[in-house]
Amino acid sequence: MIFHRQSRRYTLLAAGVLFILAFIAVSQVTLAGLSFQTEPAATPTLSPLSIGNETCLECHGQPGLTMPMENGDLLEVYVNPDDYNNSIHGELGYACVQCHRSVGEYPHPAYSASDLRAASLDLYQACRGCHEQQYALAQDSVHSRALAEGKRETAICTDCHTAHAVRPLKDRTTGELLVDAHVWIPQTCAQCHSAIYEKYQESVHGSALIEAGNPDVPTCIDCHGVHNIEDPTVASFRLKSPQICSKCHTDEERMAKYGLSTDVLNTYVADFHGTTVTLFEKITPDAETNKPVCYDCHSIHDIKATDDPERGLQVKENLLIRCQLCHPDATINFPDSWLSHYIPSLEHNPVVYYVNQFYKFFIPGVVGSMVILVALDLNKRARTRYPKIRKMEVTQEQVEPQQAESVGEPASEEDQHGSLS
Amino acid sequence: MAASANPAPAPSSDEGSETYTRFDLSQRLEHLIMLVSFTILALTGLPQMFATSTIGEWMIRSFGGIEMTRQIHHIAAIVLMLVSVFHIVAVLYRIIVLRSPLTMLPLLEDFKHLLHDLAYYFNLRKRKAYYGRYSYIEKVEYLAVVWGTLVMAITGFMMWNPVATASIFPGQFIPASKAAHGGEAVLAVLSIVIWHFYHVHIKHFNKSMFTGKLTRQEMEHEHPAELNLIESGSAPAIPKPEEIRRRQRIFLPPAVILTISLLFGIYKYVTFEETSITTIPPRETVAVFVPITPTPRPTPIPTPTPIPGEAAVSPNSWEGNYRDLFRNRCGTCHGFTAVGGLSLADYQSALQGGDSGPGIVSGDPEASTVVTVQSAGNHPGQLTLDELEQVIEWIAAGAAEK
Repeated sequence: MIFHRQSRRYTLLAAGVLFILAFIAVSQVTLAGLSFQTEPAATPTLSPLSIGNETCLECHGQPGLTMPMENGDLLEVYVNPDDYNNSIHGELGYACVQCHRSVGEYPHPAYSASDLRAASLDLYQACRGCHEQQYALAQDSVHSRALAEGKRETAICTDCHTAHAVRPLKDRTTGELLVDAHVWIPQTCAQCHSAIYEKYQESVHGSALIEAGNPDVPTCIDCHGVHNIEDPTVASFRLKSPQICSKCHTDEERMAKYGLSTDVLNTYVADFHGTTVTLFEKITPDAETNKPVCYDCHSIHDIKATDDPERGLQVKENLLIRCQLCHPDATINFPDSWLSHYIPSLEHNPVVYYVNQFYKFFIPGVVGSMVILVALDLNKRARTRYPKIRKMEVTQEQVEPQQAESVGEPASEEDQHGSLS
Repeated sequence: MAASANPAPAPSSDEGSETYTRFDLSQRLEHLIMLVSFTILALTGLPQMFATSTIGEWMIRSFGGIEMTRQIHHIAAIVLMLVSVFHIVAVLYRIIVLRSPLTMLPLLEDFKHLLHDLAYYFNLRKRKAYYGRYSYIEKVEYLAVVWGTLVMAITGFMMWNPVATASIFPGQFIPASKAAHGGEAVLAVLSIVIWHFYHVHIKHFNKSMFTGKLTRQEMEHEHPAELNLIESGSAPAIPKPEEIRRRQRIFLPPAVILTISLLFGIYKYVTFEETSITTIPPRETVAVFVPITPTPRPTPIPTPTPIPGEAAVSPNSWEGNYRDLFRNRCGTCHGFTAVGGLSLADYQSALQGGDSGPGIVSGDPEASTVVTVQSAGNHPGQLTLDELEQVIEWIAAGAAEK
């Protein structure tokens, strides 16, 4: 009976299937360069796998459809047709069976997994079919390493992107992240990192994004990367983190909008802490140093504006709390030993400015005087050491009585001086 | 480097070889140790000042990284401070015990000599000034070293012990110290290269700091006034040995106390604070993995709560075995979706059956669609032969629910 229905559907939908496959083939052309590395299976030939989504949704479009796992948990095999059709894959006309390649035939081959997570960990491999590059990048991530260590709850493709309701994140023509996506990203990460999200929400960046939709501020991925997310607790991440912050904070155009200084990196690098971190990064990028990076003072996820009355670092007491993390005995004068990202001037850090000014004149003054005296001495010695040249000059010019005088006394003190050297 | 005072001004000349002792062994050793520590300080310090330059980075890398560079710099600084302590005590010994004249003090005469030499350079005079034991050239250098060492020691202390410094002085003194330390370093190195190298190595290689001696000819040219003083016999005489011993007895106790105090000062200088040596800034403090409770999967099938007091479930019954068997094998189609009208999700639905008739007919396997369809084979979700036999037996035996 079921067979009968099924075979009838095959004949009825043959044209439909062909149409869908043709559509897919066309979409591939427009999609080239988006995020595909391998051409998806889209050969426009009839195969047992070429089944239209309507066929699948006949059963899988019915809410409540489940199948049991080996541990008794039920795997939901219902797919909301609206979710799928509105997803990037649905919009582009992909067929269920392009991902679910093993279930094209009906009856489906037997499938079993020990539990729901095992099923997800198995089924998400389908993403590789088209997104091999992203999959490969993800293999380098802290998530993949955690998975290899047996932490099955670690994020896989479908945990962030969902399986069936995959949203487009980039503008298809410009490749820029969509404005909405800026907001989605922290929400996505928050599914597992909710405590960090709470902090981020409070931060100068997070609040601007969540409350005002400001796309200038960094989301999780701007610091942590996408797919190949690094372990942020290792020394190498810490050492290069100032470069992450300065990507935006040395961007004149972006900082000008908010009246922020772009001297933050060079003033940091010029300071004892920044010099150390910079050299560590260049010379021993995996070594640990106790010198602070940006986030040790500005906080890691709950970064506040520096004029924030409660936590802002322009308030000396707030900065002192940060200093005391490493310098527990620090007193209230101590924060001033950090120049607060200012280049010394009369207005900011005048003592340092005056010292710099002093040496700006003192060094050339002293060294210049020495150079002049040495040059005068050299000049004099050269003239007394080569009296013949001088004689010639004298005969030519027939002037300069004083020179003539010394020429006339070859055994004078000066010549003996010369003979010593 | 040179002493500010010397025992007798250049002890009497050795008549045979006509050399004049200029520096005694301790002064030469002082110079040597200072020469080495100064060079190391410059080589490890300037790259720190210009750490972002290619050459600076290369040098720091060669020393084994920035921490190692700083270690070497600190050790050389300690050596230089020790030499300085020795020098202070030695100078006091010469002044107090040997009553040497303060030949290193700058005098009005030195300015006259400078003007005299300038006049000579511009051919207004026939010869250079007659220098005494130390010319203005040497005095400038000595005083520069004293001044420089003092500035470097003070600013170095502030950078070495920033927390202690800021507990007394404004915090800005620490970066100001760094600025002064760097400026002074550049000044010192340039002075050495220009002034010292020129006057001591280029103009005439004066080896007296290593041999301790000057020849008569060198004396004539470089220290004619001193030579004159020696030869006229008016150089200050060396005190009598018993007089020296008497003064030594007076000098020794305060000298020991001074030395110990200065050494203790160096010890405190180096070990004053350690707050930043081992602490590592804390990382993210909140837990990293805190999943939000996931939205429940929308189709949890309510498992019937067993009613207490009822008879135990038989393993050969719907609840004991066949409900799970049908759910696993047939549930995908014959669960809630009830393909063909047949649902095997619960016992009543199974009895009721679907479009093709009752699913299970108690005691009559032949009339049960489940058996007929499965017996035909090739049904999606096909039971194994063993399972089918069990089902047939169970139905034949009355298809017990519990």
